[in-house]
Amino acid sequence: LCGSVRGLAAGPEAHFGFQSVTEAERREKIYQVFESVAKKYDVMNDSMTLGIHRVWKDILVHKMNPSPGTLLLDVAGGTGDIAFRFINYVRSIRERQLQRRLKHHQNLSWQEIFESYQADKSKSLGDSQVVVCDINKEMLKVGKQKAEHLGYSEGLSWVLGDAEELPFDDDKFDVYTIAFGIRNVTRIDLALQEAYRVLKPGGRFLCLEFSHVSNPLLSRLYDLYSFQVIPVLGEVIAGDWKSYQYLVESIRRFPPQEELKAMIEDAGFLKVDYQNLNSGIVAIHSGFKL
Amino acid sequence: GQGLGSGSGSGQGQGQGQGLGSARPQPLEPSLLRFLVCPLSKRPLRYEAATNELINEELGIAYPIIDGIPNMIPEAARTTRKKPPAEDSKQP
Repeated sequence: LCGSVRGLAAGPEAHFGFQSVTEAERREKIYQVFESVAKKYDVMNDSMTLGIHRVWKDILVHKMNPSPGTLLLDVAGGTGDIAFRFINYVRSIRERQLQRRLKHHQNLSWQEIFESYQADKSKSLGDSQVVVCDINKEMLKVGKQKAEHLGYSEGLSWVLGDAEELPFDDDKFDVYTIAFGIRNVTRIDLALQEAYRVLKPGGRFLCLEFSHVSNPLLSRLYDLYSFQVIPVLGEVIAGDWKSYQYLVESIRRFPPQEELKAMIEDAGFLKVDYQNLNSGIVAIHSGFKL
Repeated sequence: GQGLGSGSGSGQGQGQGQGLGSARPQPLEPSLLRFLVCPLSKRPLRYEAATNELINEELGIAYPIIDGIPNMIPEAARTTRKKPPAEDSKQP
């Protein structure tokens, strides 16, 4: 069962966790999963990963190391975790830039200092921008509410769109990220092609996703945790066993590191590499459009 | 005319951006128009303030903007012509 349909789902056959379904059914089922979990998404992430998902996402943005002025497209970005981190990151870089600049201008007149504050105030992000694109209305709704609640507004926009058929023009973005989303895409090859298309030449593709643990002992513990604990947490916290059963199965179905690397290369990306986190429970894949 | 504050996707008269504390009928984030294209044809779109939609004239389809979020899923788009447009999106 595991060997047959691996990631590409070439024909009309696809997988939903360990079930065999048509592509259309898969999309529908996955939509319903996220519609159902949207409001509890963040709570569940914290519970299932004991908060470690936050570290994984921090590492992703640090690896990105965006400079002010970067244009980011965050796909499957639903509740905004990557987007908010991106904004925090460029904001702090920008603040440090401004402070450094001030230090070097100790001999300015008060008028000059005043003017430099005026100029910089309107660019606290330094023209950085992030577009969050997700196929699921409920997830975007949660994300937008979170943004309002946390005070994120500048440089942030939301689009309801399909990773396999992006509504963005060619060669537009500096960075494309997809964190814990590519696993839920039905045609991963199409999503990768679209990622390549919308990136500027020199742009970077970054994918954060559950991956393959090769250490046999750790793998056994991980399986135990995944299949015994996670669906129970799902039922207790979100009242939804089945969605989390799907989650666990979809992780098992997803291509391992080397296979995903090959798929990314097939889409045209160069210098493709990956970094395992927590022994491969999660991996960050990176590639460039050169 | 002006959309009323029901937050159900009815647009304002002008296609203005931020400021004015526009909490209800949220207009489209104007910077988005730089990147957005029709997902089917990848061709530019026209923002129609009256209906708060993004129009692809060639294919005769319109994408709705709801709560300031453009819905760019092809299935969600409505046709703007009385007759349905030509089948394929591969137009010259």
